[in-house]
Amino acid sequence: MDCKEQEIKEGIKLHIIKTDKFKTNLMAVFLTTKLTRENVTKNALISMLLRRGSKNMKTQEEISKNMEEMYGAIFDCGLDKTGDNQVLKFYVESINDNYLPEHKENILEESARNLLEIVFNPYIENEGFKEEYVEQEKQNVKHRIEGKIDNKARYANERCVEEMFKDEPFGLYKFGYIEDLKELDGKELYKYYKELINTCKIDIFISGDLKEDDENLIINDENIKKLKERKPEYEKPKLPEENKEKEENIITESMEVTQGKLVLGLDVNIKNDEQKYIVLLYNSILGGSANSKLFQNVREKAHLAYVASSSYLRYKNVIFINSGIEISNYEKALKLIREQIEEMKEGKFSEQDIEDSKKGIVSAIKTIYDEQDTAIMYYFGQELSGSNVSVEDYIKKMENIKKEEILDIAKNVKINTIYFLKD
Amino acid sequence: MQIIDNLKIKEKLYIEKLENGLTVMIVPKAKMQKKYMIWGTNYGSNDNKFIAPGEEEITEVPKGVAHFLEHKMFEQENGTNSLDTLTALGVNANAYTTNDHTAYLFECTDNFYEAMDELMDYVQHPYFTDENVEKEKGIIGQEIRMYDDYPEWRVYLNAMEAMYHSNPIKIDITGTIESISKIDKDILYKCYNTFYHPSNMAMVIVGDFKPEEMLEEVKKRLIKKEPCGEIKRIYEEEPEEIVKEKIEQKLEVSEPLYTIGIKDKIITNKKELVKKDLCIGILLNLILGRSSNLYKKLYQEGIIYGQPSLDYEFGNTYSHILITGQSSNPEKVYEEFIKQVEEFKEKGINEEDFNRIKKMIYGSYAREYNDVQDIARMFLSDYFKGICSFDYLEEIEGININSINQMLKDVFKRDKMVLSIVKN
Repeated sequence: MDCKEQEIKEGIKLHIIKTDKFKTNLMAVFLTTKLTRENVTKNALISMLLRRGSKNMKTQEEISKNMEEMYGAIFDCGLDKTGDNQVLKFYVESINDNYLPEHKENILEESARNLLEIVFNPYIENEGFKEEYVEQEKQNVKHRIEGKIDNKARYANERCVEEMFKDEPFGLYKFGYIEDLKELDGKELYKYYKELINTCKIDIFISGDLKEDDENLIINDENIKKLKERKPEYEKPKLPEENKEKEENIITESMEVTQGKLVLGLDVNIKNDEQKYIVLLYNSILGGSANSKLFQNVREKAHLAYVASSSYLRYKNVIFINSGIEISNYEKALKLIREQIEEMKEGKFSEQDIEDSKKGIVSAIKTIYDEQDTAIMYYFGQELSGSNVSVEDYIKKMENIKKEEILDIAKNVKINTIYFLKD
Repeated sequence: MQIIDNLKIKEKLYIEKLENGLTVMIVPKAKMQKKYMIWGTNYGSNDNKFIAPGEEEITEVPKGVAHFLEHKMFEQENGTNSLDTLTALGVNANAYTTNDHTAYLFECTDNFYEAMDELMDYVQHPYFTDENVEKEKGIIGQEIRMYDDYPEWRVYLNAMEAMYHSNPIKIDITGTIESISKIDKDILYKCYNTFYHPSNMAMVIVGDFKPEEMLEEVKKRLIKKEPCGEIKRIYEEEPEEIVKEKIEQKLEVSEPLYTIGIKDKIITNKKELVKKDLCIGILLNLILGRSSNLYKKLYQEGIIYGQPSLDYEFGNTYSHILITGQSSNPEKVYEEFIKQVEEFKEKGINEEDFNRIKKMIYGSYAREYNDVQDIARMFLSDYFKGICSFDYLEEIEGININSINQMLKDVFKRDKMVLSIVKN
């Protein structure tokens, strides 16, 4: 399964993934723009507003009815922070004609038309978004921002990110800030929307059991034809600056929790993009699987936690360690976690550990094509970082990594922030 | 093997009940690299009181044993842990416990048969010691604490508390720190020997396989077990009435969370289950789905921000509807919900809306067949309820507006509704 790319206009790309593995066709539009303090809240609000209505489907109810009529096509949107970019994501997933109880020819066509219209032809009154919608969606954004405390583990992680990237775009909260909401109105937001649509990077994905000319559903769409070419403004992933000697930032905060949430943010110093594959492997050995040092030592041997894991954020080249512990065990758990990071530096992991981790990663890579959205995100990741690595090459790179290379990474890992949420 | 062919979704189920009583289901998925195997027992957190086959006396065990047992099954006599062994094979292994079943599973691309060796070996060979049981109490203790911090789990359990007098559905699957402290290896062995007999178990395998060959692979790995008698599960009689209409808990949340519950009669006729599930799914979407008037109204008034989740849960001893979401004013959502239900009862459901939602529900079942994991889990959990998953795709066509209107009157009863709230 390959991804065929086609530049519709400069800055606007169509990605076509032909596959007959699924019962559904999935279409996605991603708008990528720089993450900035100035625009972060506006982008969040725009992504919510576009769901409210388009020129020909003036209300949410109409959009929903249209989707339901198409055997429950699902329209969904999301907002991502991808490195130093904010990505507004819009999806329509509809059932492929082959699996409908009665034959209906036009579901894919209708899905494409609807999706493109929602994103590129919003409902406008008096040169602006409808004020009533704006007011309601402001409340919605406010609710999302305030809602970040509801999942305590995620909140702790979010706080660690904020602290670690205090003066950088990545430290911004993806739904923005309540204080920004007040001044925004329908006219100003529409002005901003036009600017966004004219300057952002646009990627359109279409995945499914497609016919020869199905890409024309996108290319010949009226809303796409109207778009201008652009030199899109977005950030490619950068390599980290040389780690300066800085002290660990230790933060403890209180909230109503029964379990303490401990999060560590680690910097990883690498010299080139190729090393990212090695960091992925390093992370797997440290805390990426049930065989990892964190899971084995913090959970299985010391019984301090149910969750003890780490994850690698490729775009920012940082690792986060997460665990939920008895509040009184903070010192004990932290010491044990530090020991695991130290042991990695000392090379206390076996060839077997490396082999096992490689198998886990390779297996995960092989499943990319078996999940429609995962495949789209894989190609989008490549698109953003300007790389072009096939799954086969990816696997080869992984398999060729040597212990010395992992050790080299381990030595360049440093704790940046320790965040603890307690009662 | 019996073959059930579904022409709508174009998938086949191969099913066979082996001599020892184990049911094996295989769904071939050509072209998929991913393979999935799941082996479950019809034993969950609800089964705390029973008479083991061949015995006369009732056994009552602490809350949380089924889940505890799930954790401990991975431990091996030679000192290894099967989760580690499976992970080392590069497969993604896991296990979970629900109210009515416990399941062990893995997903992989390579090393399927090696992983199958390990999975089938560890599920058939428990090894519990005083020491390994004690150690797990610390880990599960943290799992319990983690759930204590999930407001969505609290609001759910409280809704159960409000609906059920004695049914074990209202107890936490994990048990409590207090209840698990009483678990020892003898209790675990007792429950294992009672519930992990092949005749109480089912297996689903999904992937690019030849079903007949796969069945032989399964048989090869089964150890011989004597047939066993019936397990008598004892549940206290549950009155039809709810316990109390409203229940509230304080937790630090940005906006209140709510669950509206409707307690329902238990269906004993398995044939009716699928139809009822479909009807209720359609009704819930007509009342509070994305295109409904009530959703529009509550959204515009700023009372809700997104679509609440709409669920119908049922088993052999319980049956209820759950509507869960976040709202600045849960009381208002509840009030408006009741009003809408009464209005529909009086005026009947609009036919055009009904037809549209029916189509949508078909789509929601069709997309379940995209992923090997979804397929395997769905067939297993439906099987323990006495359902073949394909039936949903077949039965939906026959659902008509009369049955919907009747269902609304039969199930959405004012005196069976509860409201659970978690707020600051």
